[in-house]
Amino acid sequence: MRAREVYVTGYGLVAPTVLDGESLFHRICEKRSCVREHPLFAELGFPNRAAGYIDDLQWQHVQQAFAGDAHSLPRQSLLADFVAQQALRHAGLSPAALRDAASGLFVGANKHCATSHDLEQLAGCLDSHGRLDLDRYLQHQSARQAPFSLRVDQQTFHLAHTLGIRDHISTHSDACAAGTVAIGSAYRAIERGDLDLAICGAVELMANELPYYMFSSLGALCQQSELEPGHQSRPFMRGRSGFVLSEGAALLVLESREHAERRGARPLGRVLGYANFCEAEKMTASSRDGSKYAYCMEAALEDAGLLPHAVQHVNTHGTSTQVNDSCEAHALKHVFERLLDGVTMTANKSALGHSLASSGAIEAVLSLISLREGVLLPTLNYDAADAEFPELRFLSEPVRQSIGVVLSNSFGFGGINSSLVLGRA
Amino acid sequence: MTAYQARPVYIADAAVLNAAGEQLLDLHGHAPEAKPLPFDQRHQAHPVKVPRLPGDLFDRKIQRSVEAQGLRLLHCAARLAPALRALELPSERVALTAAIPEVDAPSPCWDAVEAIQREPDRLLPQLFANTPPLHALTLLNSTVMAYVAEALQCNGPMGAYCSQANAGVDALIEAVMQIAENKADAALVVSSSPNLTPALYLRDGDPASGPVRGEGAAALLLTAAPAPGARQMTVRVAGLARGYVADETRAEAVAAQVLAKVLKAERLAPSDVDMLLIAEHDELLAGLLGQPEKRRQSSQGITGDLGASSMLTDIAYALGSPGGGEACRPRYVLAMNRSKGGHFAAVLLATAEMRAEV
Repeated sequence: MRAREVYVTGYGLVAPTVLDGESLFHRICEKRSCVREHPLFAELGFPNRAAGYIDDLQWQHVQQAFAGDAHSLPRQSLLADFVAQQALRHAGLSPAALRDAASGLFVGANKHCATSHDLEQLAGCLDSHGRLDLDRYLQHQSARQAPFSLRVDQQTFHLAHTLGIRDHISTHSDACAAGTVAIGSAYRAIERGDLDLAICGAVELMANELPYYMFSSLGALCQQSELEPGHQSRPFMRGRSGFVLSEGAALLVLESREHAERRGARPLGRVLGYANFCEAEKMTASSRDGSKYAYCMEAALEDAGLLPHAVQHVNTHGTSTQVNDSCEAHALKHVFERLLDGVTMTANKSALGHSLASSGAIEAVLSLISLREGVLLPTLNYDAADAEFPELRFLSEPVRQSIGVVLSNSFGFGGINSSLVLGRA
Repeated sequence: MTAYQARPVYIADAAVLNAAGEQLLDLHGHAPEAKPLPFDQRHQAHPVKVPRLPGDLFDRKIQRSVEAQGLRLLHCAARLAPALRALELPSERVALTAAIPEVDAPSPCWDAVEAIQREPDRLLPQLFANTPPLHALTLLNSTVMAYVAEALQCNGPMGAYCSQANAGVDALIEAVMQIAENKADAALVVSSSPNLTPALYLRDGDPASGPVRGEGAAALLLTAAPAPGARQMTVRVAGLARGYVADETRAEAVAAQVLAKVLKAERLAPSDVDMLLIAEHDELLAGLLGQPEKRRQSSQGITGDLGASSMLTDIAYALGSPGGGEACRPRYVLAMNRSKGGHFAAVLLATAEMRAEV
């Protein structure tokens, strides 16, 4: 018996091309990709210009919504602020609620990546010995905004101060699983009784040149630049050849059932279970038989007190890399065995690209909308006839179907495996 | 705020690396002299040499590719490998939690920065030509964790926390919870200070305004049962509490709550604590605890401020306390700290003699 039930009562989201969760959900239902040619990548002459990126119009909107001087904040904090305010409005909470309740903040984030212009600015501040002249660097107007003066937890602190978080804040640096780990950690804190109210999720802005170069040199990005940008992310297809770099942010409001009921909040869904494990297999690949991913999924189900037959839908990690999708497919077959026919699956990265730390939080929001709306999202660029694992029921069209439980996976570089179990309210 | 205990959790072993040395007893020796920062001679700090990793545990490419702060952490983790192996636990029952500062942004790019300085008109080619291909991996904090997991076979629950002093406490609490809730039988908690680089001072402000910084790492091995033969005394994690203040006006009240919570599990009053570990300069905590000054100690004076590694180093300091024979060994040790960001944390340790049957 669970100590306390954990409700989701609100969420906020910004992803490439969209400024809220519902717009993203409907866009994917309409099979419209969020991946486009990135003007920066085109300007830099990259061979593959596909990316999911937050465009200038979106940034204008985010800046206009900010109550203070938007230019005084780094973009990560600005985005976190926008998404958090959206989540609080969605939950029907005023920021004061976080000051008055036992509240916490759990934010997943990876490091900030310097752009080539940042490095150029830095290069201009080296002394004759090749050492950074700190005084000269600080004389630059923008030095305080440069990546070197930013912390990975600066958006956490910005939100904590803005929202008046009362009891706990933490920053989770778990690579591509960070968003899911942040949600799982918030769920655990509420379930144990440490907190009544939490904001959790992740913020990631990595669609720039250095991450492109780094992931490209690892061979992790899509190798088929001849394909239209929107067609490059092809999870679980035979012809998949890597992921598409993306960015975005999503934050969820979690509450104890008692807290939500006391204030008359409308639950949007529940967090039923969570598990996370170190894999210790290989830096960029899981156990080829999927056993480590399967172990994580089974542990999350066990944490929820459920058996696999209770799950009707899986939101896969599905990055579109050869190895990850193969491992996850084997794991899904192992977990669901003969139940596979009754489980539908989706891979949101087919439409969004891979927003790394944020991906798990964005996918959790989409899963919650599926649970509430009774609509299952299609996997874009998916064709069962050419799928590598046709026994897995990925949908190529949206399907109206009532579901009660979704399993959502995130597997990070370095073998950080995490699974969330989400339920209908 | 958190305060809990279900299954007892013991500290089986500890490892440190800092300016004072690599042994727990070194933390009770003479303080080494702080050195001027290479990039700002006006200010001093306690740097450490980059350690060599043991070749039997870590591939040589790790030594080359991981940043100094990661190498310090791996070095400490490796020294706990024999104690962990001796437990003979299935790898799935060994949790791993880590407090890792953000991998310092510009340092893997210094080569690129210098190359751009030489040929500013070839910005992008210089950036790419001088950025290590594995940078995508080595920049991730999770990579360092993965190296620990792989070398020491930790396949249990995990968690990585970033980036201030609270990260060490978050990692410790998560590890204790995994054991207490029976999700693991042992846990490795690893932590590292940030590198002493311009970036650190850019992020945290004027070096003159804060304590003298240091470089270091610390790791603890926690177990669900006292480790036979590990040490003559058992050390149990008797209480944990943490709190946060966004508004400094609540600081004293939250610190008092954290203190009350951590002592509650053992029904103690502050005066029952035999050894108190708090930063020397922290007047708020000192005032709150009202302990005689002689009971107040800290490893910070000898190591410098180790950030995310400070709490684990303080715990190691308590474990390495030479005392004056078993009779003088402290029964209860309380370590308490707070971060610049507004986190408060407290850890209560209880020591007892090993019973013969254990």
